Amino acid sequence: MSIDQPAFAAVDRGTATVAVSLVGRVDGRWRLLGSTAGPAGVPEEALLERLRRRLAAADPGIAASLALDAVGSAAGTPRLACATSAAPELAVIAATARVLAPLAAVAATAGWCVRPLIMEGAEILAVATALADPRVGAVLAGASDPPGADERPLIAELGHLVSAATERRPDLVAVLAGGLAEPGGRTEALFRPGRPGPTVLAPSAAVGSGEPLRALLDGLRGGDHDGRRALAVTTGTLADVLQRRVEVVEIGQAGAIRAAAGWAAGEAAVPRVAIVPEAALLPRSFSDEHLDAVMSWLTVPLDRLRVRDRLRELALASWGDAAGDGALLRMAAVRAALARLVIATPAFDTLPPPDLVVAAGGAWAVAPGPAVALALADVMRRAGVRAQGLDHARLLAPLGTIADPGERREVVADLRDDLLVPLGSVLMPAGFRPGRSAGRLVIRGAGGTAELDLVPGALELVDLPSGERAVVELELRDAVRLGLRTHHVAMEVAGGLGGLLVDLRDVPLSLPPRLERRRELLASWQAAFWPEVGT
Amino acid sequence: MTEPRGQSGWLDEVPVRHILDDVLEARFPLPPGDRPLVEPGGAVLAGDPLLEHLRDRRIEEVTIKVPEADRPLPGSRWAPLPGRRRTDHDVEGELLAPVPGRADRWRLVAGDHRVTLSSPVAGVVIEVRPGAEIRLRPDGRALRGEFAAGSAARGRLELATDPFGDLRPGGIDVGRAGSILVVGSRIDAEALTRARAMGVRGIVVASLPGKELRDFQASERRQRAALHPTPPFGVLALEGAVRRPIPGPVIALLERFAGQEVALLIDPPALVFEGLDPAPVEIDPTWVRIRSGPNAGAEGRVLGPAGLRRFAAGVHLEAAWVEIDGEDPVAVPLGDLERYA
Repeated sequence: MSIDQPAFAAVDRGTATVAVSLVGRVDGRWRLLGSTAGPAGVPEEALLERLRRRLAAADPGIAASLALDAVGSAAGTPRLACATSAAPELAVIAATARVLAPLAAVAATAGWCVRPLIMEGAEILAVATALADPRVGAVLAGASDPPGADERPLIAELGHLVSAATERRPDLVAVLAGGLAEPGGRTEALFRPGRPGPTVLAPSAAVGSGEPLRALLDGLRGGDHDGRRALAVTTGTLADVLQRRVEVVEIGQAGAIRAAAGWAAGEAAVPRVAIVPEAALLPRSFSDEHLDAVMSWLTVPLDRLRVRDRLRELALASWGDAAGDGALLRMAAVRAALARLVIATPAFDTLPPPDLVVAAGGAWAVAPGPAVALALADVMRRAGVRAQGLDHARLLAPLGTIADPGERREVVADLRDDLLVPLGSVLMPAGFRPGRSAGRLVIRGAGGTAELDLVPGALELVDLPSGERAVVELELRDAVRLGLRTHHVAMEVAGGLGGLLVDLRDVPLSLPPRLERRRELLASWQAAFWPEVGT
Repeated sequence: MTEPRGQSGWLDEVPVRHILDDVLEARFPLPPGDRPLVEPGGAVLAGDPLLEHLRDRRIEEVTIKVPEADRPLPGSRWAPLPGRRRTDHDVEGELLAPVPGRADRWRLVAGDHRVTLSSPVAGVVIEVRPGAEIRLRPDGRALRGEFAAGSAARGRLELATDPFGDLRPGGIDVGRAGSILVVGSRIDAEALTRARAMGVRGIVVASLPGKELRDFQASERRQRAALHPTPPFGVLALEGAVRRPIPGPVIALLERFAGQEVALLIDPPALVFEGLDPAPVEIDPTWVRIRSGPNAGAEGRVLGPAGLRRFAAGVHLEAAWVEIDGEDPVAVPLGDLERYA
């Protein structure tokens, strides 16, 4: 849509909550006037009216200039709206586990809930029953190109079973990949032409690191104004506006996204995207393994059965029980979900490290900024220095629905100071030798100079408020990894709610295997970032 | 504190829970091999045969010699032609898929032990998908639950305890046979299995903890695998997994229908008041229930918005003032509240 009004509303409708922001032109540029959120069942008009009411009370002049001073006047503002929905299910079938693994890995990052099926050693009836399940919206059948010796005896059976599934359900989308995707080949000939559901020939998971197959599967998922796709678009625009390499990690109730975009002068940023339903706050396939993962990040002593029940409640009503222990439980679930997102997207670790990491999505909403900064640092373990931010208003995704790149860039550029809450910077060297002082850190900022002894394994928090910048200088006895291996380096960092986080813990993070000891350690780290816990 | 306002616009900010649902589609699984006994568009009455379930599904191979134009489709039924001598391999069942490389050979899902499953509810069949499901639109209105386990059932609605109560195994006797029991705030797996053994057809409970649900599902799987299947038995959790009473407006509705036949559905989880058109449920629009948090289960009147407030652990949440039992109003996060319609 094109924005030709003095104000507009941005609506991000998720499966658990709906976030509404009010944006208006003030002194010739777009400014965020307010944002709020509510449970998904609450009409967006009610939330918009809440914002209008507060704007009129806080600054009647601006409200009047934007014609938002009267009750109900916000109802007519144009909307930038996007929505996320529960991920559809994709059956991924291959002859052997060897072939299935890369196919399933790519499909899992395309916004589908993956149901893996292997022909080798499986009962045909069980496979056919799974393919006929009405919850399955599409089937991805693949083979190596050319098929390996272990696959060849099973490929004909595989083709017939998938073809039979499409005869039962003519609307079923069938995707043939790799060795099965020969145009006019023996496998394609099994599928009746002209049925309502298409038969799509797709590239192998090995082509282009799986990106062409991922993009094709993502496109088949449908969904106009999909919030996660829109978020990826804005990631590119944000990288372009800030002239920085940006990475956005969003955790929602029905899925998660990791999007990264670089910046090069004169070139439009093309984001790398992975949409991973398995990394939802509480995935549909929630199992004991998922429960163990949440328990391993928990900082309060709750027994396993009780945690399971409270997580079930969280899945039923994600907007409730958000204070006290509920907030801590939610942050443990967020860390576990973020860890799943990182594991599902190993290709991102081969990209150049980001200058800015942004946390997005309703799952982060309850925690104070510093606690969000710590959670990001706990899970995203990559040596380097980066700034961290929070999409507090959930405005990034709706802005991605602006079709005209130039107009979108203009709005994002105007809103650059309002879009993100600065969480501060994280300094994460890796490769320390344990057990002794590794050197010192000197911080020179507006408030003076501070010096810090660098003890491997420690987590230090340096107060550096939002809007301030400081120069940090590292002097080390041994070379460590900080993007590159170095003894001595100086760099500028930005402040934020979490200040400067000097994270000398292991990369990747190693935690005690015993749950009690682990919990004590996590709670001790959390204490500095979330002192209100227990109040 | 904000005083109650003349206009009720802010009430829209409190999530609404609709007690009765008019547009519900019941789903009954129909895996390959099971035979539907209904047609799309057909009307069924409670107790009418819905499908024939194969208890011992297996794959057979059959030869089907027909012209290409008459080639059968996967999912269609097949039986040997009548009047011809049958061989040991002549079985009937549902065609699954052709055998690769053999144009006239098919895999067929067959079995020897069949059970006819009856519809627990009257309604109209919307769709029959062989190998997948039967969808049916029930006559009547439904009370939705959060989750259910077991199988769809039908019985006489009885209130066994008050909304806050527990039902112990010793409290269930054979006199409850054929009923769907409303058992208050929670129940354990032992009481569920005893209820099933006593001929109870279903349990409606406010909350079912995960441990009890798992134990019951394991017991149910064993029961269904036994040679002589037991009658259908289902459990419907109205609220969730953490203990709290059945909401007042819901218990008032259940009291109105006590003694009447109702259907308990598993997918979606719901209780259907069939063929009855209850008078509109009159509920004060300011009556709210606290769904979660420290006051979970309490009910009262919402007085007005309290704005953004700080709660435990320094969490800031939008809140509303709620008066509970005539006490001083307390600020409750809006996300923890629900009102009824």
